[in-house]
Formats: sequence, C-alpha cells, structure tokens
Amino acid sequence: MFECKPIFNSLLRSKAGAMMLLVQIAITVAIVSNASFIIYDRVQYLKQETGYPEESIFSFSITSFVEDFDQLQQIEIDESVLRGIPGVINAVNLSEIPLSGSGSASSIHTAPPPDTGRGVRAAYVLGDENSVDTLGVKIIAGRNFNQEDVVIQRSPDQVATVAIASKSFVEEMFPDGDGLGNTVFMGPYPVQIIGVVEKMMGPWLKDRKADNFIIFPMVVESTFQKMLVRTEPSERASVMKQVEALMLENNGDRVVSNVIGMDDDKALYNAGDMLMLRMLLVLIVVLVLITALGIYGLTMFNISKRTKQIGTRRALGARKSAIVRYFLIENSMVCSAGLLIGIVGAIYLGDALLKAYSLPALDIMYVVVTAIVVFCISVLSVIIPANRAANISPSIATRSV
Amino acid sequence: MFFYYIDLAWRSFKRTPFVSMLMVLAIAVGIGITMTSLSVYYMMAMNPIPDKSDRLHVVQLNTMDEGQSQGSSDNLPQQLTYRDAMALYQQDFPENKVIHMRSGFAVHLGDSSIKPFLEATRMAGRDFFSMFNLEFQYGGAWSVEQEQNAAQVAVISQSLNEKLFGSENSLGKTFYLDDKVFQVVGVLDEWNLHTRFYDITTGAFSRTENIFIPFSLVPVLEVPSWGNTNGWKYQEINNYQDRLNAEIFWVQLWVELPNEQAKAQYGQFLQAYLSEQEALGRFERETPQYALRNVMEWLDYSNVVSDDNRVLVGLSFMFLIVCLANILGLLLGKFLKRAPEIGVRRALGARKRQVFAQHIVEVSLLGLFGGLLGIGIAQLGLWGVRATENYYSALATMDLSMLLAAPSISIIACIIAGLYPAWLVCKTAPAIYLKTQ
Repeated sequence: MFECKPIFNSLLRSKAGAMMLLVQIAITVAIVSNASFIIYDRVQYLKQETGYPEESIFSFSITSFVEDFDQLQQIEIDESVLRGIPGVINAVNLSEIPLSGSGSASSIHTAPPPDTGRGVRAAYVLGDENSVDTLGVKIIAGRNFNQEDVVIQRSPDQVATVAIASKSFVEEMFPDGDGLGNTVFMGPYPVQIIGVVEKMMGPWLKDRKADNFIIFPMVVESTFQKMLVRTEPSERASVMKQVEALMLENNGDRVVSNVIGMDDDKALYNAGDMLMLRMLLVLIVVLVLITALGIYGLTMFNISKRTKQIGTRRALGARKSAIVRYFLIENSMVCSAGLLIGIVGAIYLGDALLKAYSLPALDIMYVVVTAIVVFCISVLSVIIPANRAANISPSIATRSV
Repeated sequence: MFFYYIDLAWRSFKRTPFVSMLMVLAIAVGIGITMTSLSVYYMMAMNPIPDKSDRLHVVQLNTMDEGQSQGSSDNLPQQLTYRDAMALYQQDFPENKVIHMRSGFAVHLGDSSIKPFLEATRMAGRDFFSMFNLEFQYGGAWSVEQEQNAAQVAVISQSLNEKLFGSENSLGKTFYLDDKVFQVVGVLDEWNLHTRFYDITTGAFSRTENIFIPFSLVPVLEVPSWGNTNGWKYQEINNYQDRLNAEIFWVQLWVELPNEQAKAQYGQFLQAYLSEQEALGRFERETPQYALRNVMEWLDYSNVVSDDNRVLVGLSFMFLIVCLANILGLLLGKFLKRAPEIGVRRALGARKRQVFAQHIVEVSLLGLFGGLLGIGIAQLGLWGVRATENYYSALATMDLSMLLAAPSISIIACIIAGLYPAWLVCKTAPAIYLKTQ
C-alpha cells in the first residue's frame, strides 16, 4: 500500500547516492552511540560523590626556606590564625590534600612483618583532631580523634596508634564487619581503627582504590606544609584572597603557593576527562548536523532531478501527500538499512575500543537510542525538501516536452 | 587547460551555490575536527630530540625481589635507587651520561626586592645540557671540579634570568635557593621542549625547569624529591642517609650509547652489575633484568600518548569518512544533473579524459576551499583544547607540516570522493542528451 516496491526499484536505479546515504547513517550511528556512551561514563565519573563539601573547602601550601624556628609551633599559630578569619569554620594542617592528585599510599596489613598477613592498599594523610571536621566528612561509627590521640612527631619512632578510615577500606580490610576497634599494621606499627567515615575519597580519583582512605592523628615536622580550610561557601573566595598576606604576616620567611578551591583542584586533576568529554560532544553535534545536512542536500537533488517526474505524477492525479510520502518512504528504506549496519558496526566498534583501550563495555541501550534519534533526524531533514517537491506544479510536466 | 578547468569549476560552484557551500562546509568541518585531534596526537607523538633519539637511552634496573612489580608493562621500575644511579654514574663508561631528579626551592634575592616564589629545580649531572641539546645565552655548564665539590652554582633559564636580574648578563651574580646562596654560571637560551622526555614520571608535558644545580648537592643539602618515590618493601627511613641507601626508586639515569656495539657492551656491564648486587643480598631474582630504551621506545613504554587521544583520532577519521560519503552523494547528484551539458561537450569532441580531468579539478577546488576553512575550524578547536586543558597548551598548536597537511588531506579526500562521480559523468553517451534537447 505504501508503494514500497516501485520505490525500491527506483532506488536500485540510482544505487550510488543511496549507498552513500546508507554509509553515512551507518557510521554516524556507530560513532554517536559509542561517543555518547563514553560521555555518559565520564560524566558519571566526574559527578561522583567524593564525601567532601568541595565548594566550601580550599587548600594551600606553605614552604619555609629558613629552618631555625619551631615548625610544630608555627603550625599551631597558622591554624589559629586561619580559624580567626571571619567565615572560616575550621582549618587543619594535613600532610596531603584529598582529590589533588598528589598523596601517599601504602599497603596496610593484618599482621606485623615478617608474616604480614593480608594487605589492602590505601591512601593516607596525617593531621590533627580537627581533620574530620575540616574535611566535612561524616563519622558513621566509632568516634572522632581527641587531643590525646594526636602524636606530635619529634622523633621518627613516635607514630599514631589509632586511625579513622573510610567505610570502603574498613569493609575491604575486615570483610566480616568487625573492623571498628580492630587493629591493622602499618609496617611494624599497630594501629587501632576508632572511627569509620561514610565516604571520603583519597588523593587519586582514578586509583583502583580511590575510596580507601585513612587519617592518622599525627603532625610531622617539615619545611613544606599543606593547609586545608573549610569556610562558609559564600565566604570562600574572600578568605582565599586573604590567606597569603595573613600567613606571611606572622612569618615572612616562607612562600604561600597553590591556594586553590577543592572543586578547582579536582577539576585540574580531571582536566583530561573534561577535554575528552567536550571534544566528543562537539564531534557528536557536528556529526549529526552534517549527516542531517547531507540527507537534506541529497533529497533536494533528487527532487530537482525528478521535477518532471513529480509534475507528471501530480498531473496524473497524485496528491501532495503522496509525493511527500514517496520521499519519506524512500528515505526510511535507506535509513533503516543504514541503521541496521550501523547498529552492528557500533557493537563491533564498542568491542574494539573495549579491547584496545581502557574503556568500559558499550551499553546496548545507547545504540538503540542513537538509532532512533538518527532516524528521527533523517525524517526531519527529508520533510522540508519533500514538501517543496509536493508543491511542484503539474504544469511543469507538460511544459518542456 | 588547467586554468580553464578552474574557471569552469568556479562557474559550476556559482551555479549551485547552496550545494557547493554545503560540500565545502562538510569537508571543512571534517578536516577541522580531524586536524584538531590529529594535531594534538602529532605533537604528543613527535620525536622531541630527533638528532639524538636513537643514541640516548634511559637505564632501568630491576633490583626488586622476584614477583614484585611497579605496575609497568615489564615490571621494571621507571626510576633507580640513589645508590645504583650513583654507582653507574661514577663509571667511566659510557662517556656521556646524566643523573638527575626533580626538586624545588623557594627562590629569592635575600632582600625584599622580589617576593620569594617556589620554583621547580632539576638536580642534574653537568652533561645534562650537552646531552639534551640545551643552548646557552651566557656562560655554560658548571665545571667538573664544581660538580665534584658540590659547589652551590646554578644554570638558570632565560625567563628566570629576566625575572631575577632583568635579562642582563647575570654570570657571577648570586641568588638564594631556600637559605643557601647560589652563583649563576650559565643562562640558557629559550628551550622549547614539547615533550619532557627526560623525566616522564613528573608529567610528560609539564614545563621544563627554570633552575639546574649539580646533582652532587643532593646528599649535602638533603634535597627532597618533587617527583615520585616508589618502594617495594618496608624499610625504616629515619634520616636522609637512610633514604639515600634505601631500596626506593627516585633517581633517573640517561646514557648516550653511540651504536649497537656500545649498547650491547653496556648491557653486559649492567648484567654483571646486577649479579654483583644480588650477590650482596639486596634482592632475590632468578635472572637479572635491565632495560635500555632509547627516547622513542621510552615514550612508547611510558604511554605518553593517552588512550583517549588515540580514540579521538580514530573517531575523527571516521567522522571524515562520513563527510566524504556526504560529499560523494552530493557530487553524484550535482555531476549527473549536468550530464546533458557534458553530452554536448562530448559531441563537440571533448575526450573522456578531458571531461574526467575537468571534474577532478572541480572537486580539488572544493577540497582546497574546504581545507582552508578547515584550518580555521581546527584553530578554533585547538583554542578550545587550550582553554579546557592548560597542560596541553604547548601541544594544542599546528606547526607548518600540520598546516600543510590540512589542505592536502582535504584535497586528496575530495578527489577520492570525486573519482566515482567524475567517472560516471565522463562515461556519458552524448547521443541521448543530444536527442532530448
């Protein structure tokens, strides 16, 4: 009833043009479905919950270039200066800044060496009793550090005996669920887990164990210090502007550097993913646009080539809707064939990407949705020229013959 | 005849402006997108030191117990322990070698004339400059004696010289690194290294350092590492001397081996060295394992070109194919519509070959326009890359070869797309068209 047979036959008479359309649609489906899946994957990664109120935290580094002062006392002074700034909720000296891409990690064991037992890799930081509050994370079991827990390290054998760890680390270390209160070993040193935090990510979001993070209550002497500050979200920018001057005011023989908000720090670490995401987005948009324009252009040409034929049909009594239908069906036939090939191609491409690169396996839903979207776009890009064709006057047919 | 064809092509372009613009746009966007990703890839994969890349080798030793791994493809650590690096550096063979690591200091002039600032510093052997082709604006590398005596001397970059001393000849002038006074012995010329091959562990595309000081200062000043430090077993490290002796990897060694023979010879030496170290009981291995990789092998081994980038290049070439299919379809329509005209030309004596050539010239012209517009689009794309990722700012540019490549790829692509339509149209039998008109 849709005159499929004659349309198909006329397609066979101009195979090449239809083939090109088919190839275009097939490759478009293959690329767009894979690219949009990669985009989805990256967006999920970038938007993942880190456990921190990133918009209200910032960090900075202090490097002292003279060593003849009490560095541990200086840390105390700096912390209290920071806490005195209006808008600051808390401030802490931390050995590493979470999400920054720079940190320390170690294998934590169930027994001391030489027989170390089972080991689980985790990133860790050293900080005092203000760490948990400043990081803005939530303790779901156990307790926070108190002042007695904190070890001010004056010689290398003074180490912390307790720790607060992320839930994912505790669960991996103690699968039986008895992690809280249990003891783990960092080298030969026993450490008791006194608190469990629901979620806090380590310094490397791309790490296989990005969720495994431990805080040890320690303050270590070093000429290179990092500070983490939590403020009211609205006050952060103004506090960040003040810190350098305030820090240098109470000790000028040092350099304050890398004053950066936690969200910006994370964005810097993830800049490559953001770039990939944006490039793929541009690729998809432009690709769909080009394919749509191509279909549009090709249909325009077909129409101008068939002006007389259309005029004749109209003269013989075909309705305008019949002409529009003709082009729509013709396009749908080519498009469906292209989509079928494209779907198969997309799955193969996804498979190849999975094997060759560290990309996740393609979700078939993406291919299906892409195919539907491409089909709709192809119909849209045919309708305009088809309507124009329908308006060809029947008199054309009788004119030049 | 060629110019006549160009004239014809231009007329044809004007006759169907919409479709012609569509084709130019399609090829331009295809070229623009492809060149954007290809340029970044090309800069990433480019040889950073072409005249020496075959001779410069990075030394890797496996001084870990059997079964230990550092996550590399062949389980070798990327860096060396301080003691191994020093032991090899102190050998007479090979003649040119450089030991180095990255650190950093607060830089100031000891008064309040400039605000102290942090600056990454490379601790290096004096061959660093000659081996990696650094040119001097003033002075030169520190002397052998200065290196042996761990003298506090420094080579600084042009930009730091400008910042500290206002670009004048600053030889002999002093400045502070933390609380230590250093004397300038050399000022470098501009050094544009797009891939920092000599130390990939701290970022292959990071900027080169502005300060270079003798590696022999490492134990004297107890210099902290600003690079990676990786260990494989638990060791008590309570002071800097412990760190120097520890089985941790944080120092790098490059050697210049002029030919295969020297490489084989040095390999044998490393083998013997490893056996000797194993006999000392430092580690337990069945077979000694070392690697000598030249610059390009090292970049490849270190995965300098990211997977993301390869995927992007692949996808953009597929995109280009879509654009070509698009153009091919449009060309078919455009050329075949012109068949009557060609029929007349053929009847008047034009050869098939001439008709074919005329159409190929026409598509080449489309390719040229598309390519030129594509360069513009690619520049826009690269600007976007630089805006998103500061780290790539030195990479997201097109050099001359890429600028020439854009129209070349574009013209070749258009010719490929035009072959079939041109062939179809030149086959036109004149008789039919003469009849109907």
